[in-house]
Amino acid sequence: MRFPRFFTKKRGHRRTDSHAWGSFAEGLFYALLFGAGIVFGLLLVTGAVTYAPADPDSVVLQRGYEWWMWLLTLLIPVALLAFGGSGLVRIVRTWGKSQEHRAAALRAVILDGLVGTPPAVSGHPGVPSCDNLENSPGIVLKYRLPLESPENWTLVGFGLFALLWNAVVVVLAVGVGADLVGGTTDWFLIGLLVPFAAVGVGGVVLFVRSAVLSTSVGPTHVEISDHPLVPGMSYDVRLGQGGAHLFRSIDLGLELEETATFRQGTDTRTQRLVVRRVPVSRWQRVQPVPGGSFEARVAVTIPNDAMHSFSSENNAVQWRIVVRALPDRWPEFTRVFPVVVLPVKAVGPAASAETVESLE
Amino acid sequence: MNGVDADHGDDHVPAVSGQLFPRIELRFGHPGRGYEPGEWVTVEYGIEGLHGERPRALERSALWYTEGKGEEDLGVHAFERFPTPETIDRVVPEGTFAFRLPTSPLSYEGVIVKIRWCVRLRVFFESGRDHVSEHVFTVGRVPPSVLP
Repeated sequence: MRFPRFFTKKRGHRRTDSHAWGSFAEGLFYALLFGAGIVFGLLLVTGAVTYAPADPDSVVLQRGYEWWMWLLTLLIPVALLAFGGSGLVRIVRTWGKSQEHRAAALRAVILDGLVGTPPAVSGHPGVPSCDNLENSPGIVLKYRLPLESPENWTLVGFGLFALLWNAVVVVLAVGVGADLVGGTTDWFLIGLLVPFAAVGVGGVVLFVRSAVLSTSVGPTHVEISDHPLVPGMSYDVRLGQGGAHLFRSIDLGLELEETATFRQGTDTRTQRLVVRRVPVSRWQRVQPVPGGSFEARVAVTIPNDAMHSFSSENNAVQWRIVVRALPDRWPEFTRVFPVVVLPVKAVGPAASAETVESLE
Repeated sequence: MNGVDADHGDDHVPAVSGQLFPRIELRFGHPGRGYEPGEWVTVEYGIEGLHGERPRALERSALWYTEGKGEEDLGVHAFERFPTPETIDRVVPEGTFAFRLPTSPLSYEGVIVKIRWCVRLRVFFESGRDHVSEHVFTVGRVPPSVLP
């Protein structure tokens, strides 16, 4: 019998030590949590601790817990039971099974409809669903693509920060004001209030500036003649850019972006990287019609050797139509319209989604 | 405990010292191991070096997995498990494995995301240890990505 090594070298994604020992240790951890939940819950329910903390000499015959107090008291043992129990069930279900066996079993459950399957284009495993991209008809062309603007998220972030920070500033200011009215001066609190108020004002300025930026340059619309897209095919794309300003330039192109989500310690991080850019068209010195918008129609061709769109739990390869515009007196902005590119046509009839076979 | 025999380049993890693991030879129907989506893949394999130890079970699978910066994702396309003496005698020490490829995902050599297809054979022994042999092949002809 070989004892486990507690400090082992990781080789890529493979563990060098015993999977059985790893699962055993994991199971032991969940069993301890489950046991702690039972003991803690029993102590609370059976009343092992039956004295009044305010009066230790008295014996408590009946406790006056309200129902919500019971709920609050039982929250910790119930959480321990749920976390430990679900972990134990998972360990028992996967005990002795290989990585492939577990994945195949999960796939079989998904095929049976018992677990929510990740959305995918029918007949193309790993290709993300395009339902959300095709539910808005265009004015001229077939579909109007939804906008995925990173600037909108920045705006939301600035707004939330300004709101929460200034709430803290108001609490501090009320405290300082109450002291002053009461005739006392807390210089420490006042000293704290000044930098806090400065940051709060800065947050509001950033939020207002972002809001003005995102609303003053006008909306961007992109319509496309068909979807999903296929490598080697050309599609009509209609661009509409609103705004009353002069644009020094507007660029429209295709981009392929890779997304990888990974864990670093206890943090989960996502890295995005554009690995391919296909310029489509560039307009210079654009002046939208007053009260209207700049409109253009171009042909976009998906490269013959294009990788198809791909999405799994932690990795993705996504195509998008990107509009970059540089207004005359404002900073450059980017607006992103995701699209789905299908794989090249298969040789003969496609295989069924996932073949899972077990000869028990 | 596991032994790993990776046949996709120079990645070879030796067996744990003092223990003998079998050698699995696998031949693809296409010498270049390059396939098109929807195509049939047929492989022949032979397991040598069992040293009289009887396998308890054998698993044959065709799957894709991701490599790169992100956490590994894995999708099993075909999976067969032979867990009984009656069934395992049909597939050990040699056998064939055939499956039709789906339309996606295609093999992809990106910068931070890579998608690889492989055939895995996993032998489980009575002693409790197992040995996996991985053989990579490509699906489609997507060129590698390079930073613009």
